[in-house]
Amino acid sequence: MKLVNLAKVSRYFTLGQNRVCALKQIDLQVNKGEFLVLKGASGSGKSTLLNLIGAMDEVDEGEIAIAGKALGPMSDRQKSHVRRDHIGFIFQSFNLLPVLTALENVQYPLSLRTGGKAAGASSHKENKAKALAALERVGLADFVNHKPNQLSGGQMQRVAIARALVTEPDIILADEPTANLDSENAQSIMALMKQLNRQGITFIFATHHDYVLEQASRVIELRDGCILQDKQRVAA
Amino acid sequence: MLSINFFRYKIALLNVLRNRRRSLITLLSIQIGVVSLILFGGFVASMYEGMRENMIRSQLGHLQIYQAGFNQYGHIEPEQYLLTQEQVQQVSNLVSGLAEVELLTPRLDFSGLITNGNQSVAVVGNGIDPDKEALLSSAITLIEGEDLFPEDQAGALVGQGLYNALNANIGDYLTLLASTADGAVNAVDVQIVGAINTGTREVDNRLLRINLSHAQDLQFTQGVSRLVVLLKDTAQTQIVMDKLSQLFEQEGLTLEMRSWSQLADYYHEVVNLFDGVFGFLKIIVLFIAALSIANTMMMAVMERTPEIGSIRALGATRHEVMMLFLTEASYLGLFGSTLGVLLGIFMANSITLAEFIMPTPPGSSQSYPIRIFVEWTVVWQTALTGVLVAVLASIYPAFKASRLLINQAMRSA
Repeated sequence: MKLVNLAKVSRYFTLGQNRVCALKQIDLQVNKGEFLVLKGASGSGKSTLLNLIGAMDEVDEGEIAIAGKALGPMSDRQKSHVRRDHIGFIFQSFNLLPVLTALENVQYPLSLRTGGKAAGASSHKENKAKALAALERVGLADFVNHKPNQLSGGQMQRVAIARALVTEPDIILADEPTANLDSENAQSIMALMKQLNRQGITFIFATHHDYVLEQASRVIELRDGCILQDKQRVAA
Repeated sequence: MLSINFFRYKIALLNVLRNRRRSLITLLSIQIGVVSLILFGGFVASMYEGMRENMIRSQLGHLQIYQAGFNQYGHIEPEQYLLTQEQVQQVSNLVSGLAEVELLTPRLDFSGLITNGNQSVAVVGNGIDPDKEALLSSAITLIEGEDLFPEDQAGALVGQGLYNALNANIGDYLTLLASTADGAVNAVDVQIVGAINTGTREVDNRLLRINLSHAQDLQFTQGVSRLVVLLKDTAQTQIVMDKLSQLFEQEGLTLEMRSWSQLADYYHEVVNLFDGVFGFLKIIVLFIAALSIANTMMMAVMERTPEIGSIRALGATRHEVMMLFLTEASYLGLFGSTLGVLLGIFMANSITLAEFIMPTPPGSSQSYPIRIFVEWTVVWQTALTGVLVAVLASIYPAFKASRLLINQAMRSA
């Protein structure tokens, strides 16, 4: 089942007087259950591609569909709903809301559904139970009332993973999720994500770390905005 | 719905508490605005009330009743528009049946010359019932001598300015010349029993008050120019006027009436002037508060750009981001206004209790202590305006926040 479908996608940026091509005519399909890694040097287009798949940026050419829904004709509000209902995000800098506790951070995306009266929206009490379950899943049941500044980098990234998981998205996008972690924490986080992938969650990573590549079921190498290599591999 | 509101309100509140110093400065600017508007509004209200009651209780009463046509033609031929004794009696009977009325008193107006032998001064005089006027004209203060009594047939009260101009002493006899009702000139002797201050310098420079019977003798008439009605409460003026109109119609009396408000042109000029000043001051104060709030919210948007990117990435719509910042602004407005109201009420009461003396206002001859009313209409309107200004001033920053590009906002971490 195709979760992500990119057809002839191009993206340009204007830098001063120059128009720079960040992605050129990209065709890409991602199936359910993949553990896909986008690799490439800085400026190769990994993050741009991830932003486009995450409905956080607009294509200049081509078309993107997420879970069968074409993003092109959608309004900003509809794209927000796609992000809310179909995509989970894990960021390099964790990006937790500093004023909320770990539990509240995980609960927040669910509250957006409830407020928007989305399909599958649940009550505040149910949201709290789901958030608690997600935190237990990432091994942070004892830290629910901790604020982000009371957590280590590894713990913050686990909270971010729980936040991405809690809405049961079709796909989780992770942009350099281990870049700000020490090697021990980075490997632990990767092991956790791999475990979640085995449970059926689709991951797309942007990274250049080898230990992430080792976990991948598919590696796409980008260079100068083009796909240089697209390799299926047997994960470790 | 409960869940999203809970988080939005919680995040907004926590963000207000997050940067305490900046929030405190913003709250302070809202507070200062609210306090200054409550104090100025309360001061103006007390001034209006003081001026209104002073006019009512020194000159105008709440209502005045005249012969029909008096206000249009009476100044040319006053003798033709006097109320007859019979009419006075009829009106007295009707008015005495109204519970809202405190008293009714007759006045006979005249103008003439008063002379001490060396100099003559033009006067505006009233023939009055001294016992009733003592109750009606409670705002008139006796500066020297003693009050006028019905037994003082030739007695006269003179305005302070007139008293000084005549260089007279209490007990001095003066000659008063005036036209009679049939157009002749008559003169009577009056003895100064006291000098009075009405609070209005222009009036005090010309005022002479004598017993009604003495004024009637001077003018060879039994009529009166007007009947002045004093009510128990100024707020009942229109109600009593309506009732009296009905009664006059039923009794076939062709009379006309004027309320204090219709007679007090100067009061309305002052009210209009101060309303304008208050409105202008309000705009300035609210503009300063709005600038401070807008600045705070812009700083918050700039500081929290990565957070805005995050919540947008998680699926928050632009509307949700905007509402988050507007909720934050509402908190600032609500807290600032509440604290401002409490401080404003405290300061208004403290200043009133302290009884600071104000300088004598232009055109007046009396100084008075500052009184600041807690005007509940001003209080709730100012508090509501404080919240509204906070929200309105935050619309642009909130809009900017909602329009941030997600990927760029995230990159600014």
